[in-house]
Amino acid sequence: MDALQQLINGLTLGSLYALIAIGYTMVYGILRLINFAHGDVLMVGCYLAWFASAQFGLPWWVSLAGSMALTAALGMLIDLGAYRPLRSAPRISALITAIGVSFFLENLGLVIFGGRPKAFARPEIFNELYHWGGLRVLSLSVWVPLITALILAVLLYVLYRTRLGMAMRALSRDLVTVRLMGIDTDRVVAATFAIGSALAAAGGIFWAMKYPQINPLMGIMPGLKAFVAAVLGGIGNVVGAMLGGLLLGLAEILLVAWMPELAGYRDALAFVLLIAFLIFRPQGLLGEKTT
Amino acid sequence: MSGQPLLDVKGLTCRFGGLLAVEEMELAVPRSQLAGLIGPNGAGKTTVFNLLTGRVKPASGSILFEGRPLIGLKANRINRLGLARTFQNIRLFSELTVMDNVLVGFHGGLKANFISAVLRLPSYRAEERRILARAEEILELMGLMEQAQERAGNLAYGQQRLLEIGRALATSPSLLLLDEPAAGMNPQETLALSALVRRLRDELKLTVLLIEHDMHFVMNLCEELTVLDHGKVIARGAPQAVQRDQAVIEAYLGVSPAKCASTENGDA
Amino acid sequence: MIRALLRRLNAGPLPPPQATRRRDFWLSLVAVAVMAVGLRLLETGLSAYWVQMICLAGLNVVLAVSYNLINGVTGQFSLSPNAFMACGAYVTALLTLSPAEKSLSFILEPLVWPLSVISLPLPMALMIAGLVTALLGFVMGFPVFRVRDDYLAIVTLGFGEVIRVVANNAQSVTNGPLGLKGITHLTTVWWAWGLCLAAAFVVTRLIRSSYGLALKAIREDEVAAETMGIDIFWHKMLAFMVSAFFQGVAGGLLAHLITTISPNLFTFFLTFNLLIMIVVGGLGSTTGAVLAAVLVTFGGEWLRVVEEPLSLFGYEIPGIAGMRMVVFSLILVGFMIFMRRGLLGRNEFTWRWLTALAGRRSENK
Repeated sequence: MDALQQLINGLTLGSLYALIAIGYTMVYGILRLINFAHGDVLMVGCYLAWFASAQFGLPWWVSLAGSMALTAALGMLIDLGAYRPLRSAPRISALITAIGVSFFLENLGLVIFGGRPKAFARPEIFNELYHWGGLRVLSLSVWVPLITALILAVLLYVLYRTRLGMAMRALSRDLVTVRLMGIDTDRVVAATFAIGSALAAAGGIFWAMKYPQINPLMGIMPGLKAFVAAVLGGIGNVVGAMLGGLLLGLAEILLVAWMPELAGYRDALAFVLLIAFLIFRPQGLLGEKTT
Repeated sequence: MSGQPLLDVKGLTCRFGGLLAVEEMELAVPRSQLAGLIGPNGAGKTTVFNLLTGRVKPASGSILFEGRPLIGLKANRINRLGLARTFQNIRLFSELTVMDNVLVGFHGGLKANFISAVLRLPSYRAEERRILARAEEILELMGLMEQAQERAGNLAYGQQRLLEIGRALATSPSLLLLDEPAAGMNPQETLALSALVRRLRDELKLTVLLIEHDMHFVMNLCEELTVLDHGKVIARGAPQAVQRDQAVIEAYLGVSPAKCASTENGDA
Repeated sequence: MIRALLRRLNAGPLPPPQATRRRDFWLSLVAVAVMAVGLRLLETGLSAYWVQMICLAGLNVVLAVSYNLINGVTGQFSLSPNAFMACGAYVTALLTLSPAEKSLSFILEPLVWPLSVISLPLPMALMIAGLVTALLGFVMGFPVFRVRDDYLAIVTLGFGEVIRVVANNAQSVTNGPLGLKGITHLTTVWWAWGLCLAAAFVVTRLIRSSYGLALKAIREDEVAAETMGIDIFWHKMLAFMVSAFFQGVAGGLLAHLITTISPNLFTFFLTFNLLIMIVVGGLGSTTGAVLAAVLVTFGGEWLRVVEEPLSLFGYEIPGIAGMRMVVFSLILVGFMIFMRRGLLGRNEFTWRWLTALAGRRSENK
């Protein structure tokens, strides 16, 4: 019973990591850029949803959709303003810029929203408590994996059955050649940022409902861990990001459940896993071996 | 001692995925020889260099250098044993000066540890002076002394190739591997390069193995040629003999000589 | 413009090394003496607050110069200075705090023996802290230098987080989230700027030696460097450990400057600050790092203006807390986009340059 309870908790957490990791992995696959600001884009998405729900009283699904749309625009804006001028620069320059954008969003968040956490209301539908046998399960924990699976299915459809998806996959193979073939790579990259950022917003909003509060620095940890999840799954691979997210979520929950005396070290687990993977299986679970 | 070749390669095989890049290669280079490795594009010549210098691990086979097995050693260890190379697509430290590029070559053989280097102890200073003098000799030999303080990336293409050779010489090798040293050089530069390589052998007693597409250069300079095609050795011997070899002509022209002759006749 | 000028003046055939070495030595000595007199005047003439700022600037110079060694000179994009500073700060504080002070602080769990009874003088504690931090760098180096570029960045960042998590949880050594209090204020202008001299001396000598050339070669082309007989792993490790040593000692002095440390002091924020310094100075330039460390330290103070309420033409503009970091992050992004090579590029201010400049002046007359 207890094991099942932990499994559900791990699945929920893992799904959240997965949603965030997908954006990382898609951007990295195409630009070989760790988009450090991804976690902070997530934070902005949460605040947008918070404004829509708490200030304007919109229903949760409207604020979710609106926030995803606006966050997608933010993702494209960041790409346009900060990353596109550095496309031909050394990779490390783009990485430094990404770190700068990340700090910019965090501190702008502190300036605009203030440092004090804001309560993030959990909509009715996610707030029911089910009692199944000895299990106590919040409806949110059931919905999150389902919604994640749905989103992944849609995303895979886009990637493998549409022209845009084909262009994205081609781009992650060889950006230069695709550009030579006359495809507007900038637009495809922008679309990638849009999709990744929208998914991060979704992941962030469910994250906020889980805890249920938000603050301007909330994106740092989920962002870092989701990147680790993307590496564990095999960076550049969307299904891998999903698996990596689930693996990390389960590992964290199980660590806390089985070794409560090590619960405090939970935030270090992701990095220990990262180091272990980079040493023993650098290509990740589903990644291809590259040099 | 004299009976044993300096470099002795046996049964060397290397795969990239399903592709056999080098297959069962045999190669023996005696001391002080000017040897050439030729073959059409994609024959696996540079892969052989990468195998010899430890950048790529072979699937099987053995490489003996001065009687020592090289397989499994790291690239820097192999260099320290006396095997230095240049790169086909020039890999100079382009932000460093010409002089510094050569000095980097000496670093691997530096005896002073880093503490004596930081404190500039007399032992380090003496070594530094000696290295500096030898680096100047090398630049003099390469005809690059005037450009010593120039950024390496600013040199003309032919000079960059010379600097690569100079940097390799600084590691005090006994076998020098040159990967297309004449590529991009004009006829005069190529001629001077020929003379230079010969001097390296005559005066410094170096053994040289080189890859080159300029047949004129190769035929005039090398004493023995090994021809590679699709990863296999298809001919070996003195340049004049190799030039007349059936298999070699086929590999280069991609057709049988008879056919080739007939089209030539047709054209005429 | 500065870059072009430096490049031009530093170019050309080298003068005989013996003579310039001796001249440079005397010029350096004079500069140190002038600096000492200047510091003495500032120390006595300024308020405690500004003396504190001068100390902080000194520590930032040490941190930036040593960070530049691994990131700029060797080209290994590490993000771990916050881990090294944390290590140095905790080790130093645990060694210098008096047993009585320690037993007062560690209320949840007592401090482990022998740390609970040890109390060392500052110089010894700093030395040990530096060595322990270098050892931490050594241990980290094995996984870190198996990867490159952005992966290296993430792994080193991860270590920073791990160190923080450990500091938060290893109650009987670090006192957990409560941190260490009552550390004596021992860091003076002399300690901070003395360490600067030591760090600048060691790092500059290292960079100018054959070892420094090897490090730059690794930055330029790892494959070529290895093929030229350089053991790239151990050279990266060398730069990493030297960098860690000085960051550890600087962390120790920081603890004795601010007198209270806790795990949340050593976030990625510290690393970000240093990153701005070495980027603004020009990745790979030691003198650039010195210049930028001073600029950023005092620039940050100057930017406090935007955080304080301001009255302009009779209007009250409320202060915006946190605005400084917004400005700093914009500066970082701006430098990356418009001036990627920083103020100095990879050039250095050298005595040769200064004398060349003076020589040109007198020629013009």
